[in-house]
Amino acid sequence: MKTFARKPRPVEAIATLDKNAKVDNYRASPGLHAGAWRAVLPPLLAVVLAFAVTSLPITISGKNPLLAYWALLKGALGSVDAIAFALNKSTPYVLAGVGVAICFRSRVINIGSEGQIAIGGVAASWMALSFSYLPSLILIVAALFASAVAGAAWAGIAAIIRLKRGVHEVLGTLMLNFIGTLFVSEVLHGPMGEVGAGFPQSPLFAQAAWLPSLFPGTNLHAGIAVAFIAVVLCHVLLWHTPFGFRLRLLGSSHTAAAYAGVSFARAVLEVMLMAGALAGIAGGIEVLGVHYRLIQGFSQGFGFNAVAIALLAGLNPIAVLPAGLFFGFLEAGALAMQREIGVPSSLVFVIQGLTMVFVLCAMGIGLKQQRV
Amino acid sequence: MLEMRGICKRYGSVRANHNIDLTVPQGQILGLLGENGSGKTTLMKVLFGMVRAEAGTVSFKGKQLIGHSPRDAIAAGIGMIHQQFMLVDAMTVAENVMLGWARAGSWLRTREMAELIRSASATYRLELEPNAVVDELPFGHRQRVEIVKAILRGADLLILDEPTSNLSPPEVAGLLGVMRRLREEGRSVIFISHKLGEVLDICDEVVVLRDGEVAGSCSVDGATRAQLARMMIGRDIRHAPRLAKLAPGPDLMSVEGVSIRDRSGFERLRDVTFTLREGEILAVAGVNGNGQEELVEVLAGLKIPMHGRITLGGRDITADGVTARLLAGLAYIPVDRVNTSLVPGMSIEDNLGLRDFERSPLCRGPWLDRAAFRKQAMLRIAEFGIHCGGPDVPAQTLSGGNQQKIVVAREISRRPRVLIAFQPTLGLDPGATQFVIDQILALRDAGGAVLYISSELEEVLILGDCIGVIYDGRLSGVVKRDEADMTKIGLLMAGIQEATA
Repeated sequence: MKTFARKPRPVEAIATLDKNAKVDNYRASPGLHAGAWRAVLPPLLAVVLAFAVTSLPITISGKNPLLAYWALLKGALGSVDAIAFALNKSTPYVLAGVGVAICFRSRVINIGSEGQIAIGGVAASWMALSFSYLPSLILIVAALFASAVAGAAWAGIAAIIRLKRGVHEVLGTLMLNFIGTLFVSEVLHGPMGEVGAGFPQSPLFAQAAWLPSLFPGTNLHAGIAVAFIAVVLCHVLLWHTPFGFRLRLLGSSHTAAAYAGVSFARAVLEVMLMAGALAGIAGGIEVLGVHYRLIQGFSQGFGFNAVAIALLAGLNPIAVLPAGLFFGFLEAGALAMQREIGVPSSLVFVIQGLTMVFVLCAMGIGLKQQRV
Repeated sequence: MLEMRGICKRYGSVRANHNIDLTVPQGQILGLLGENGSGKTTLMKVLFGMVRAEAGTVSFKGKQLIGHSPRDAIAAGIGMIHQQFMLVDAMTVAENVMLGWARAGSWLRTREMAELIRSASATYRLELEPNAVVDELPFGHRQRVEIVKAILRGADLLILDEPTSNLSPPEVAGLLGVMRRLREEGRSVIFISHKLGEVLDICDEVVVLRDGEVAGSCSVDGATRAQLARMMIGRDIRHAPRLAKLAPGPDLMSVEGVSIRDRSGFERLRDVTFTLREGEILAVAGVNGNGQEELVEVLAGLKIPMHGRITLGGRDITADGVTARLLAGLAYIPVDRVNTSLVPGMSIEDNLGLRDFERSPLCRGPWLDRAAFRKQAMLRIAEFGIHCGGPDVPAQTLSGGNQQKIVVAREISRRPRVLIAFQPTLGLDPGATQFVIDQILALRDAGGAVLYISSELEEVLILGDCIGVIYDGRLSGVVKRDEADMTKIGLLMAGIQEATA
């Protein structure tokens, strides 16, 4: 085995060794630039591929795909109103998506954004309807705060079931989605419903509760600013706080997390509450900024798109912003494409779906390469 | 029935098997003995076709096996029960038996298979229910599923790789019964074990491996445990022990009567008691799986003991968690580098801060101080000579030795009062091994108390100022290094108390 030739270095000597060892010896790693490209390229390629493949059914139906995509682009970016509409559409995607990204990064599989959005919407509506006499700013902040708390609580239920009873959070959050969505119907058919309306919806909120416009003269509400702040906040949390360090540990290895003294239960609860709060705010913004009332089914589909967006972003909070905007703008342009070219707007979902498929394929290849 | 001649196999510079001959006649049970790393598993992998030997021949039932795969080995009539079972937990016993078995056909005849399993189960008294889901079976029963799998596939030679190490005594008795029954039927068995008692109890012949060579073989008739133990470990110590020059200081950490059970209620630690003194290394020898893992986890605060008391510097820390113990001055080097002491995907600087990121200086207020991370990393990289492309490259890009340097740097730099090191040199090359050991010795010489656990007897003998042996969850025979008796330690490692030897 060994030949113990070297002399042991006393610990004291080690500890007092040059305190200011050459810190500038290493430059920022030269691979950083290449690394950034490697992260951005697969999703971009996936988007291009998705558009290319979708042009096939458009061609078959006798339409020119390039014209269709031009209409799509114009519909999404062609006017100030169009952009405002698209940004509004992206807001809940970004908010819920960034929460899901943080969860998935910690290997906590929260697919319950939809339910959390629904409950967040209910809470904001309740605030808006019950305290309509409050000054506008206070009312809006209070309503959004309520939606955050409600969303967090909804996610917290799934976390507690996971921690106490060992029911996996995939099941818990999925089931709570149905309950959350149905809860919206329930309150609309009961205490919060508008009397005499033909559709399950709440009365219109007082104007004080409406989210202010970010730019006067457009429909762009303040939600996108909230979403932007949330993205930056999550990025900072993940990389610059002990909380983020805990989550990264949890996502890498449970045994290493335990070794580092991280409580599994606490970390899971924290990340779920945070994602729930973000989704709840998304719900609150949707009712306060878009509909100005609670309507049945307002949260439909958001939750699953949030998962797709988080994956498209490679679970990187900052990247959730472009990913969420991509989804929002695509859907905003879809109607224009249908109107002008006669290509069904549902084709946009095909593009979204294909993008996801290609991104996941790229991720799979990336994983394989990593292992070798 | 089986003849292996002149088997040689190297892994890099390590000679795993050198010129090994092994013969197993029909209807006999051959015991294969040896310390960890003596080449038993490699030899069996060669036999089963999982590893290709560089030289040597294998002939089975008169036919040469050349460049065979495990599939060929099974077809020829060789079955192997690995230490890690190859079962699908979510499937039933019958489904697991059918899995990958050509004779089960392309149409599942579950009922027929269940009948087959039932009759085999009755013949060998395995008490297996074909429709039970494997996930719900206790460990011993899963092993029986593997045995049934091998028998039904027509194995005439069964290799059992340390089959008894996780079994309770009644389960062991059952397994030995199955082996006897197989022998009566004219099948042969190769039984790999560390436990001399079992080997003497059941085997016809014994072959002892040491450092990749056959150290001796004999018939069990007339062989004694002491004889076998000496064959297993009886070697000269090539290096002088490196004892502390100063007399040990006062007691620092004491462990009293600690016991722990695993989830199935099996007692993994039994009434463990010892004391660590300042400036002294207590080295614990023992074959893997005798409670070492549980012991270090209990000490590190990862597991709560059922009974017992742990004190550090006079303070009771039994109920403290990992962080509290860390702050009390307890450092810990776990055996598993890949997923416990290091996070492969994280950068070196994050890995160096793994256990202290929530405290000053790495954390200021609500923020991580990235500059402090970087500064600490630069310092450690320089002090400990960690070869890397910079503090922000992922730990997984480093060699095993440099990875372990990260761990050692992190744990030693905290200047702990007590260090628990669990096989810290496992899988390291000689240079890195020496580095780790030097660091631990330096810590001791500076007044630290060290608990060093290893399955390599030589390491224990070189490092320990005091030496103990852990067997079956019990720590015994703690003596001063100069009073240590090699033979006695060997016997204790094999589970033999003096009285019965």
